[in-house]
Amino acid sequence: MSNEHTVKSYEEELQFLVDSVIKMGSLTESQMVDSMDAVIKVDKDSIDKIIKSDEEINKFRSKIDSQIMTLLVKRAPMAIDLRETISSLKISQDLERIGDLSKSNAKKVKPLPLDLPEELLANLKRLGELVIKQLNDVLDSYVNKNYDKAKEVWEKDEQVDDLTYIAMESVIDFLSKDKKNLDFSTHLIFATKNLERAGDHITNIAETICYLIKGEYLKGSRPKGKVIQE
Amino acid sequence: MSNIKIKSKNLNVYYGQKQALFDVNLDINEKEVTALIGPSGCGKSTFIRCINRMNDVIDICKVEGNIEIDGIEVNDKELDVVSLRERVGMVFQKPNPFPKSIYDNISYGPKIHGKGETKSELDEIVEKSLRKAALWEEVKDRLDEPGTGLSGGQQQRLCIARAISVNPEVILMDEPCSALDPIATAKIEELIDELKKTYTIVIVTHSMAQAVRVSQKTGFFHLGKVIEVGKTEKIFKNPDNKMTQDYITGRFG
Ligand SMILES: Nc1ncnc2c1ncn2[C@@H]1O[C@H](COP(=O)(O)OP(=O)(O)OP(=O)(O)O)[C@@H](O)[C@H]1O
Ligand SMILES: [Mg+2]
Repeated sequence: MSNEHTVKSYEEELQFLVDSVIKMGSLTESQMVDSMDAVIKVDKDSIDKIIKSDEEINKFRSKIDSQIMTLLVKRAPMAIDLRETISSLKISQDLERIGDLSKSNAKKVKPLPLDLPEELLANLKRLGELVIKQLNDVLDSYVNKNYDKAKEVWEKDEQVDDLTYIAMESVIDFLSKDKKNLDFSTHLIFATKNLERAGDHITNIAETICYLIKGEYLKGSRPKGKVIQE
Repeated sequence: MSNIKIKSKNLNVYYGQKQALFDVNLDINEKEVTALIGPSGCGKSTFIRCINRMNDVIDICKVEGNIEIDGIEVNDKELDVVSLRERVGMVFQKPNPFPKSIYDNISYGPKIHGKGETKSELDEIVEKSLRKAALWEEVKDRLDEPGTGLSGGQQQRLCIARAISVNPEVILMDEPCSALDPIATAKIEELIDELKKTYTIVIVTHSMAQAVRVSQKTGFFHLGKVIEVGKTEKIFKNPDNKMTQDYITGRFG
């Protein structure tokens, strides 16, 4: 932020809002790390903890909502302050959705057999790592108000799409070898798809950050990688 | 693109030794609302007073440069100021009805400008002006009562009715709502929205939200200079100039 507000408490309220979004972001990130870990290691013990942390994230979201409403009526923010306020609303929405997807993935662990072949999970693991990196980068660009970095995340979603495609293929490949794999293969397919969706929310956040910083929307359509037929 | 109704070119204004406006270049579009914002003393009132030569009455005030309305120079010494003020009406911060009846407040202008010859012509102008100012229903049964007996918000609408009674082309409003409650303010704002279909309006306001609500174009003044002019939406969502941003977000030191 440039100069300080004449009204100091306004300054503090805005900063408090931004801090809440940052905290919610880091919570969402560690939840995603845990959830990915649980999937790859088929670690059924951690499922409950991940579900619990989703409640935490949802609580953050409603807290941020109410902060925003108070700020809107109290201060009627303008220009950069308005964009900051609206961005926090949008980003917290996307974060909440990402949290839901991580929770959904954690739940998929329950029916998985413990002896999944490593090569089956290798591509899913790569995809998970990429999405986590994307989330980390986008939050970083938010903290540092770094336009270029946000734009980079936005561009890199293409890679998420490509890796999703590859991960899907390996699951389907495995499935076609033996029909009795059907049960848990569908869970893996959904988990893969969830990661791709999380990637889309991260792209939304990147767009929001670019708008927040420059006041104009990114030009052109989103970069698209290979797309799985729904 | 809208037509330019008023054009100021390198306008400089001095009060004695003190310069109040510096090379102001500003275009005001026809049948649009232009809001002027900026910290106290930045020259907003001085600027709008140039448009109908109200600065003439201030002895020490000297105006240099051009202001054109429909391409005609306002500062031309030959220009008939009375007919200029007929074309360019003004509404002030504090409602200032004449200490006369509601009826006389409205009919006075048309009378001196020779617009209403007969009583029935005047009656018609009075009713039409009050209707346009959204005041008719509230005062139609008490037209002979003094205008000063109305509430502040009603008085301000009376002043707007008075301004439009001579059928001007431009209406200048200098903080017209600063003395009004939110409901009276909302009524005036709605009225402004209606009036812009017929008139070109320039409004000075200290309320950022009001500027956003009523205007299509906004000009930001600072220390006698126009810092930024643009579409209102742009100014309040994403201004180009840092000073503009600092002012509208309340960061001015
Ligand atoms: N009649 C006057 N005699 C001398 N100086 C004047 C006169 N009117 C205005 N000024 C000076 O000219 C400058 C611009 O004043 P102006 O009234 O145009 O500001 P403004 O933007 O309308 O302020 P506000 O928001 O307080 O109404 C100020 O420095 C003011 O002191
Ligand atoms: Mg003034």
